[in-house]
Amino acid sequence: MTDTHCPYCSLQCGMTLTRRGPALEVSARSFPVNDGALCRKGWTATGLRGSRERLTTPLVRDRATGELTAVGWDDALDRIAGRLAALRAEHGSDANAVFGGGGLTNEKAYLLGKLARVALGTSQIDYNGRWCMSSAASAANQAFGIDRGLPFPLADIERTDVLVLVGSNLAETMPPAARHLDRLRERGGRLVVIDPRRTPTAERADLFLQPVPGTDLPLALGVLHLLDAAGAVDEAYVASRTTGFEEVRRSAAAWWPERVERVTGIEAGQVRELAALLGGTRKAMVLTARGAEQHAQGTATVLAWIDVALALGLPGRPDAGYGCLTGQGNGQGGREHGQKADQLPGYRSITDRADRVHVARVWGVTPEEIPGPGRSAYELLTALGTPGGPRSLLVFGSNIVVSAPNALAVTERLAALDLLVVADIVMSETAAMADVVLPVTQWAEETGTMTNLEGRVILREQAVSPPEGVRSDLDVIAGLASRLAAPGDWPTEPEEVFAELCAASTGGRADYAGISYRRIRAENGVFWPCPSASHPGTPRMFADSFAHPDGRARFVPVEHHGPAEGVSAAYPIHLTTGRVLAQYQSGAQTRRIRELPDEGAFVELHPLLATRIGVRDGEPVLVRTARGELKAPARVVATIRPDTVFVPFHWVGANRLTNDALDPVSRMPEFKVCACAVSG
Amino acid sequence: MSPGRVVVVGNGMAAVRLVESLVARGVDAGITVLGEESVAPYNRILLSAVLEGTHRADAITLRSPQWYADHGVDLRLGARVVDVHRDRREVELADRSRVRYDRLVLATGSIPTLPPIRGLVRPDGRLHERVHAFRSLADCTRLLGALPAARQAVVVGGGLLGLQVARALSIRGIATEIVEGGEHLLRGHVEPRAGAMLRRSLERLGTTVYTGARAVRLTEDGLRLDNGVTLDTDLVVLAAGGRPSINLARRCGLATRRGIVVDDTLTSVDDERIHAVGDCAEHGRRTSGFVPPAWEQADLLAARLTGGSATYAGHRPVARLRATGLDVAVLGDLAESGEVVQVANPVTGSLRRLVVRDGVIVAATLVGDLSRIGLITQAYDRGTVLGPHEPGGLLMGVAAERSGPADLPDDAEVCACAGVSAGRIRGCTSLADVRERTRATTGCGGCTDAVTTLLGARVGG
Repeated sequence: MTDTHCPYCSLQCGMTLTRRGPALEVSARSFPVNDGALCRKGWTATGLRGSRERLTTPLVRDRATGELTAVGWDDALDRIAGRLAALRAEHGSDANAVFGGGGLTNEKAYLLGKLARVALGTSQIDYNGRWCMSSAASAANQAFGIDRGLPFPLADIERTDVLVLVGSNLAETMPPAARHLDRLRERGGRLVVIDPRRTPTAERADLFLQPVPGTDLPLALGVLHLLDAAGAVDEAYVASRTTGFEEVRRSAAAWWPERVERVTGIEAGQVRELAALLGGTRKAMVLTARGAEQHAQGTATVLAWIDVALALGLPGRPDAGYGCLTGQGNGQGGREHGQKADQLPGYRSITDRADRVHVARVWGVTPEEIPGPGRSAYELLTALGTPGGPRSLLVFGSNIVVSAPNALAVTERLAALDLLVVADIVMSETAAMADVVLPVTQWAEETGTMTNLEGRVILREQAVSPPEGVRSDLDVIAGLASRLAAPGDWPTEPEEVFAELCAASTGGRADYAGISYRRIRAENGVFWPCPSASHPGTPRMFADSFAHPDGRARFVPVEHHGPAEGVSAAYPIHLTTGRVLAQYQSGAQTRRIRELPDEGAFVELHPLLATRIGVRDGEPVLVRTARGELKAPARVVATIRPDTVFVPFHWVGANRLTNDALDPVSRMPEFKVCACAVSG
Repeated sequence: MSPGRVVVVGNGMAAVRLVESLVARGVDAGITVLGEESVAPYNRILLSAVLEGTHRADAITLRSPQWYADHGVDLRLGARVVDVHRDRREVELADRSRVRYDRLVLATGSIPTLPPIRGLVRPDGRLHERVHAFRSLADCTRLLGALPAARQAVVVGGGLLGLQVARALSIRGIATEIVEGGEHLLRGHVEPRAGAMLRRSLERLGTTVYTGARAVRLTEDGLRLDNGVTLDTDLVVLAAGGRPSINLARRCGLATRRGIVVDDTLTSVDDERIHAVGDCAEHGRRTSGFVPPAWEQADLLAARLTGGSATYAGHRPVARLRATGLDVAVLGDLAESGEVVQVANPVTGSLRRLVVRDGVIVAATLVGDLSRIGLITQAYDRGTVLGPHEPGGLLMGVAAERSGPADLPDDAEVCACAGVSAGRIRGCTSLADVRERTRATTGCGGCTDAVTTLLGARVGG
C-alpha cells in the first residue's frame, strides 16, 4: 500500500494505491482537502497502467517519410543533444527553447529551469501555467507582494460567513472540494457564485449572478461602489494595513449599480444583494478561478476583487480573505521553481541581482551566466521558427496543440521548427508532431513533490515500477545536461533534486528551506514559506503583515476595457470555454482511460439561441470565430446565457476558436471570451 | 499627439471623464478645468441616492483635487466663465482673468427648468425658503438640512428625477406628493399604460400623484394647483427637467439649437477648435441628458484630441430609475415603432414591453419586473438579430424542465462524480450499498438527496 495523491487537479486528493497481483487499486484516503472523497478521474487514475497507449521506447521521425522509428535511449539523447548544440553554435543560445507544464512535479519543474538556464544557456523557457492562474499570480504579487493561491487551508472556507466564487465551477472541476461548500452552508454560511453558466456549483449557491463573459471586473467595482456608499469599508484596516485606497475609492464612484447592470447583464438589484451580503459581515472570502482570470484584463479583474477584499479588511483575518483556486496539479509549485520565463527557483526574480547571485551559487555558475528573462508562453510559441525566434523546442508535460489559444496558428509554428522534442507518457497530439518522442514515467511510477492549491507541499510516492523502456523526466534532463557538458550536479533521485531545490529557494519568497520528504510524510504536507527545519510552515498568511517591504497591501486602481474582441454583426455571440467533470486539461490522459466517458466536444447553448438557428439537442452546430471553426453536437440547456455558448477545451477544436489577445501583465491569453457565430 | 492647451469649461460627469481619458492617454500637461461649483467633481446622478440615504455624500466624489494636481491638471473650482473670445482663443472668467486655449471643450451640462409658479422666487432673486432645486450637491445638502423640520413635501415633476426624489423623501419619512403637468408619469419615456402602473405602485408605497395638474402658485397655505387643489407642504422640490446650458456658446456665436450643435467629431460646426460633450451637446439633432453617451463622447473626444480618428455615431439611450421599491427601465426612444411584444400583470404591477423591428429590439419598457433586464439590455445594446420566438422567450423566460429524481429513467446520470445512472442506484439496497458498489455520493456529495430519494422510491415501490 502506498499513500499518495491523485495525478490530476490542484486539489491533489489523498489516495492510497494497493497492488493486487498485476492490478493497482485506488482507494480514497482522508486528507484535509478531500476528506476521503474522490471523483471519477481519481478513481480511474490507474487506467493508463499497462495500457497499449503508453509509449515505451524513444521514437525518431524521418522527416523525408514522416515515419517514426523506435531507437535506443542513448541514440535519441545523442541526437537531441547534438542538434541542440549545433543550433546553439549556429544561431546563439536562444535558438533552443523549453516548454514545461503545471502538472510536472516541483523537482521536474526545477530541473527543467536549470536545464534551460545552465545546460542550454537559453532565456527561452516558459510553461502552460501561463494559461492557468498567471493572472491571479501577477495580481497577488502586486497587491500582497507574494503569490500563493490560497493564503489559508482550503477547509477554512467552511467557517466563513460569505463565500464568493468568481468564475469557479469547482463542483465539476474539483468535485471533492464541493463538500466544503456543503459544510459551509450547513453551518449557516452563504455561498455566492458568479458565472455565465448556472453550473452544478451555482446550483448550490444562495445567490447566483450570471454575467456576460468578461465583465467580472465592473461587477467587482460595482460591489466596491456600494460598500463605500454604505459606509461598509473597514477604514481602520485600510488606514493601518494598506496603501492606495483613495484612488480606488474614487474610480469605484463611477460604477453605480445601474451602470454595472448595463455592462454586466446582471440586474442592479442582484449587485446590491451581493454588496449587502458582503457588507454585513467581517468574515467573507472571495475566491477567483479561471473564469475571472483567463482574460486580456485578467490581472485587472483579480485586482478589482482583491480591492473588494481589502476594502472589507478581509486578508489576514481568520476565516476570511482572498484566494485563487489554482487549476493544474502543480500549478502552484510549477510557477515557483524556475520554468517561468522571468523567474528563478523560490519565486525569485531573474532580473534581481541578489536573486541571481543566490541561485548561481547553488548551480555552480556565475550570475552572469544565467540568462535574462525570456518570452512568455504564447509569445514564445508564436516566435518559433521565425527569424530571431527559437529553432528547437523541448516540451515536457504539455499538449500545446490542444491547449494553446488560436491553436491553428500555434500548430503552424510548431511545424516550422528545426527540432521538436516531446517527452510524454502517450502519443499526444503534440507528440504526434515531434521529431523525437521520449517516453517518460507517470505519477505512480515515480516520486516527487507537488504544491497544491493551498501552498501545501505534498509528496506523491512511487507505488509501482515503470514499464520497461521508460525513463523519468529527471533522467532525461540529466542525460541531456551531461551530453551538453553542463556544469554542476544533475541528480536524478527526486529527493536529492528536492534538497537542491530547497537550497535554491532558501530566502526566496516561496521558501522551502525547512521542508523535507520526512516532514511532508509526518505532517500531512508542509505549507510554504518554511524557512527552517524548526519552522512549522505557514498555513495562514498575512495575519500581521503583507510581503511588500512596508508590510502593507496595495490597492491597485483598475479600468474596465472589456473583452479584446467584442461581439459584432458577423460574430454576434460570446464564446466561453472550460472543463467537464470527466476530463482533464488537454485530455491526453483522461481521453485514453476507458472508464471515463469521452463523448467529444459539444456546444452548449440556450434554447432561445438553439431555436434562432434551428438546431435541436444533439444536432451538429458550427461555431466560427475569426480564427477557426468547430463542428460539434448541440447541448441545449437553459442554464447558460442566451447570448453565450460554451465549448469544453479537452478536445482538438475549442482552442482553434479562442482569442490569443494577451493580458498586458500576466501574458494570459483570453480563453474565456471571444466573439463567434453559430449556425446549424 | 499632444492636444496643446486644452481648456474644459465645466466640471461635471462629462468633464471629469474627458480629463480622465486624456490622462489615461498620456496627456500630463496643458489641461485646465474651469468648474463653476466650488467642490470636487461628483457623481451627479447619485444625488438622489444621497438624499435617500443609500449613499454617503463623501462616496460620490469622482476625483479629488489632489488627483488633478498629481496628473498635472490645473483644476480651478468656483471659476465661472463669462465669455469666449474666439478670435484670440481665450476664455474670460467672472473675475476678468483670461485663459488661452488651443482646444476649448464645452461641458457645461444642463440647467434645471424653473416651472412658472408664482411665489417660487423671492424678490431678491433667491428661491423661496421652502423651495428646493435638485441639481447640485449644494442643492442636495440644503434639502437634507431641511428634512428634520419637514413633515410633508411636494415634488414638482413626474419624470425620472422627480420619481427618484419623491421616493427618497418618502423613505426619509416625509409624506410626499408628486405633481406632474402631463397626463401620466414618465411621459417623456413611457406610454400611458406604464405610467398608470407606476402611479399605482407609488400610491401603494404611500405617495399621492397628481397628473394633468400644474402647480401655479406658492402661498402661505401651500402649493396651489390649476385644478383648484392646494397642497399643504413644508417643502417644494423642483424636478421639472432641464435644458442644455448653451448661453456661453450662444454668446460667442456658435450654432445652437436645443444644444450646442456638433458634428460627428464632436466639434462645433462653426469653430474647429471648440468641442462640446455631454448634456450641452447636440449631435444628429439629439441631446441626451444621460451619462453613458456623455462618457462615450468624452472618451471619443479624448481619443481624437490625442490623434485618434474615431467618429461619433450617436447613442442608444437607456433610462434607468434608481429608487428603492420602483423598478423601471426604458430602452430606446418612446417614438420608436415596430412590432410590440408585451406582457402585463396589473395584479403585481408589472409591464414588460419590447418594440422589435427586423428582429432587433429597438425599444423596451420594463416596469415592476426587471428580472430579464440583463438579457434584454445586452440584446438591445448589441443590436442582436433575434429569431421570431425570442422576444417572447426573453420576456417570459424558458420554463426549466424539472422532474423529481424518482421519475428519472434508468439511464439518466445521477452522480456525475462517479458516473452512476439512476438504474444502478435502483439496484442497490442502502446508501452504504450505493457507496460500496457504485461510489455515488463519494465525490462532491451533491447527489446524496437524489440517491436517497431513488432508494426510498425503490423501497416504497
